[in-house]
Amino acid sequence: MLEVKGLCKYFGGIRAVDDCSFTVGKGTITALIGPNGAGKTTAFNCISRTARPTSGEVWLDGERIDHLRPHKITQKGLSRTFQISRNLADMTVLENIIAQSKVHGWRDMLKPAMSADEIDKAMDLLDFLGITRIAYEDGANLSYGQKKLMDLAALLMSDPKIILLDEPAGGVNPSLLEKIVADIRKLNERGMTVLIVEHNMDLIMRLSHRIVVMAQGKVIAEGEPSEIRENPAVLDAYLGGVLEEAA
Amino acid sequence: MTMAINDTSSVLQAREAHNAKLASAHDKTRVIWFPVTLLAVLLILPALQFAGNYNYLLHLVLFTACYVTMASGWNVLGGFTGYISLGHNVFFAIGGYFAGMIFARYGVSTIILAPLAGLLCAAAGFLLGQIMLKTRGPSFIISSLALVMIARILLDHWQFVGGANGVALPANDLPVQWAKLPYYYAFVLLAAFTVWACYKIKHSKFGLGLRAISKDEIKAESAGINTRLYKQLAFAISAAFVGMAGAIWGEYLTYIRPNIFTIILVSVYMVLMCILGGKGTIAGPVIGAILILAFNEFFVATLGASEINILATGLIMALVLMFFPLGIVGTLAKAGRLPRVLNWD
Repeated sequence: MLEVKGLCKYFGGIRAVDDCSFTVGKGTITALIGPNGAGKTTAFNCISRTARPTSGEVWLDGERIDHLRPHKITQKGLSRTFQISRNLADMTVLENIIAQSKVHGWRDMLKPAMSADEIDKAMDLLDFLGITRIAYEDGANLSYGQKKLMDLAALLMSDPKIILLDEPAGGVNPSLLEKIVADIRKLNERGMTVLIVEHNMDLIMRLSHRIVVMAQGKVIAEGEPSEIRENPAVLDAYLGGVLEEAA
Repeated sequence: MTMAINDTSSVLQAREAHNAKLASAHDKTRVIWFPVTLLAVLLILPALQFAGNYNYLLHLVLFTACYVTMASGWNVLGGFTGYISLGHNVFFAIGGYFAGMIFARYGVSTIILAPLAGLLCAAAGFLLGQIMLKTRGPSFIISSLALVMIARILLDHWQFVGGANGVALPANDLPVQWAKLPYYYAFVLLAAFTVWACYKIKHSKFGLGLRAISKDEIKAESAGINTRLYKQLAFAISAAFVGMAGAIWGEYLTYIRPNIFTIILVSVYMVLMCILGGKGTIAGPVIGAILILAFNEFFVATLGASEINILATGLIMALVLMFFPLGIVGTLAKAGRLPRVLNWD
């Protein structure tokens, strides 16, 4: 469904993402892992076009999307969250979520900001995530975990085909983590394709169908969780082999 | 142990009450009668002319309405979208010169030409936005200042529009008692229309997108909002309102000259009014315009037309902003203390 071919992103001489290729199958949960600085978030940014890739191609459902502007990509059905939750202060959670709903053309722009249908839909999403009670809270007053959940709700508002989650469990307490895992699994059971960047190995091993391992901007391994667990290259990357090589 | 349980229940209760309060604040219905009555009073105000000479009062209302229009227009870009422009007097000038020159040559009243001037300014704003909106924050402010300087130099040297001397426009031939009336009605209705349009914009999908842009442009873009188009449209709309005010202002003064339209004070006034009243609110620019012009008029009357009156107005502004950092309307709304008659948002 999502295909990344030879993606490169250089910052001056630094090759943050270097000839990275992988695919995400429809209806699967694919995890992108790797040590800090491996280029996972940069790859994410290049896919969602928040950053401009130096070279390479990104295909979504047989359509090349790497030259589109970010809002077009979102409208094509690829939505993402950010590692450090970005939310809109001075706007209620409901407004934060509805801001993400689809707007088509001029006529939609003149419609009331929040129609009854959209409020219902947003409330259903909040209900699905179990945070209906914060619907009218200011987006800036939320706790870290609530922000992560709100991001997820906002993401779903645009009816995406594939969602990119950047560290959905980063800095979240264990019980909320369980909840987020369950939510992602529930979404996936409904047919949502998920690409996830995460450091929490336990979560990754339980949740994902496929794992792509990156180190120093390159994909070093790809496969099922059980294969990855035993792959020597992966262990090497995590335990510092790459660093020795660099030194 | 029971103590602990009691504690949590009280916390939960407080939480519930808090949520109920937030939800009720959210669906609060608007007090429509207040702005409507205000408008009605302003519309019948000129009847005072039957009782005596109230031209000064009419001038003040007209002047305030002009600035309400401009500040509200500025608010679409500066308040909703978060792009502080100090160059909006350029659109005041474009509107004024466009309508003024046609009025001088062909005698078509600027009141009729105002919507056309608005369209011209919208087009100019859209195109200038294409260039200027690539910058953000302080760079955008500086680029807007550059726009003012360019406009000033152009108008000072463009002999077709009179250069630095400007062009005198014919005064209307109504008796002095009624001479202000057409402009008075034009400005009051224009101001009312602007405030209404701002309300509509704020409550549309477009307005929600603009507010998202003002908070976090990258997030807005990744949320599926075409930020470039939205920003340019916001620039165009705010330029249109300022341009319409400029068109009528020229004929009212019976004179168009660069140093009426392109002095920085005009755009500074727009910014200060929005900041004083509350950026991004609907009532804010209205309150700000009324207060600043009232202070100004009061201090000119008591301290004389020297620099001291500007100093006094500035001191009052600084004091108000110390206690109302988000502007009067913005701060009161945040604290939940905004009188319902002023909640136009």
